[in-house]
Amino acid sequence: MDYQFTDPTWQLGMITPIVLGALSYLFLQHGVLAKSKQLIAAGVISFCGAIVFAIGFAPSTMESVMLMCFCSIATVGGISFLVAREPVYAALGFATAVLSTCGIMFMQSALFLAAATMIVYAGATIIIFLFVLMFAQQTQLRTYDVQLTHPVVAAAIGAVLLITITMCVTGEKGIKLASPDASRPYSGAVLPEELRSSAANDFLKNQPIESILVPGTTAGLGRSLYTDYLIAVELAGAVLLVATIGAIALAQRPAENLS
Amino acid sequence: MNDTITQNLLVFGGVLFCAGLVGFLSRRSLILMFLSLEMMLSGVSVNLITFARHHQNYQGQILAIMVLTIAACEAAIALALVVSLYRRKATLDVKAWDDLSETIVPKVSESPVRFGDAAMEFPILTPAGLDPLERPVPSDFEANESGTADKVSTRTHEVSSHA
Repeated sequence: MDYQFTDPTWQLGMITPIVLGALSYLFLQHGVLAKSKQLIAAGVISFCGAIVFAIGFAPSTMESVMLMCFCSIATVGGISFLVAREPVYAALGFATAVLSTCGIMFMQSALFLAAATMIVYAGATIIIFLFVLMFAQQTQLRTYDVQLTHPVVAAAIGAVLLITITMCVTGEKGIKLASPDASRPYSGAVLPEELRSSAANDFLKNQPIESILVPGTTAGLGRSLYTDYLIAVELAGAVLLVATIGAIALAQRPAENLS
Repeated sequence: MNDTITQNLLVFGGVLFCAGLVGFLSRRSLILMFLSLEMMLSGVSVNLITFARHHQNYQGQILAIMVLTIAACEAAIALALVVSLYRRKATLDVKAWDDLSETIVPKVSESPVRFGDAAMEFPILTPAGLDPLERPVPSDFEANESGTADKVSTRTHEVSSHA
């Protein structure tokens, strides 16, 4: 399935799903706005057409079928996030998209990140967003929930950006995907043999070399995180602390006037 | 690792990013704009993890962890900002804060809400009373205490507003 950049079939398979997706977004949001069933049906049909087009140009091994299922669910969640008028439904669509993204991360052997994303995004962030929504939202819909600012322009910008991304990724002048270089050590945790055998590295010495060399394990991720990226971890901790202090200071009630 | 799967996942990350971008450009509620930002960041995370799997190392995953950390910080500060802004004006609309922008930007007049006007139904009221076109109100009309219009006073009354 290697299509060339100048191949009209390739261009058809690339541009058609994106344009169909943008059209389905516009149809759906106008249909939800005007409560017209024809527009909603047109949006759903064009979205299904986009999905079918995209899958038709995709490979069909078992892993890729699972990945395509997760991608489709995430895209459905994203579209429903875009077109939902109730903010709570929009948040649920966002949660759907993020949970399917977690499935993709599992299949890409990023186990720790899948769990962390599930906890941080779909757990904490969604819960806090819903809390703020219920704090600030009245029962009926507001004008700013219903009205959008220039949805056609926004959809056009998104479609053009997505076409550009697709061109850069899959075009013949795009990013060359190199085969992985196994000879180069990727981590400072992979020590040379004389250091491995020294008494100062008891932990590393007792590990089999395959468990360090083969990526995909959470232990290896942690080892790389705390050897190669120690300063980044410390900086991230500092940023978290500053953000916590800032959030507490910002969300405080203004002090009463003390006489 | 299949190159086609890598490419497909990169495109999928672009799809998530563009969905978040469209949401950020078109939404007007502050909270949903920040949710759109989170969706853009999750698209970036998908990209990083795909590259990590492709290059068979941990660098992409570690960058994705950093992105997750910054996203959590951003969500906390954004929600604190939203709460403090809501205390000032009691609205989540971005346009309520338009006066912070430059003054040369022309004001776009607000068009009325058209939510559900295709399915809007007005109640059908039973017609009651006199048809004012057929039987105009006489000049000596005066309603009684209960408001029913059956008593016509015989004396001449200065009702000028019914003319």
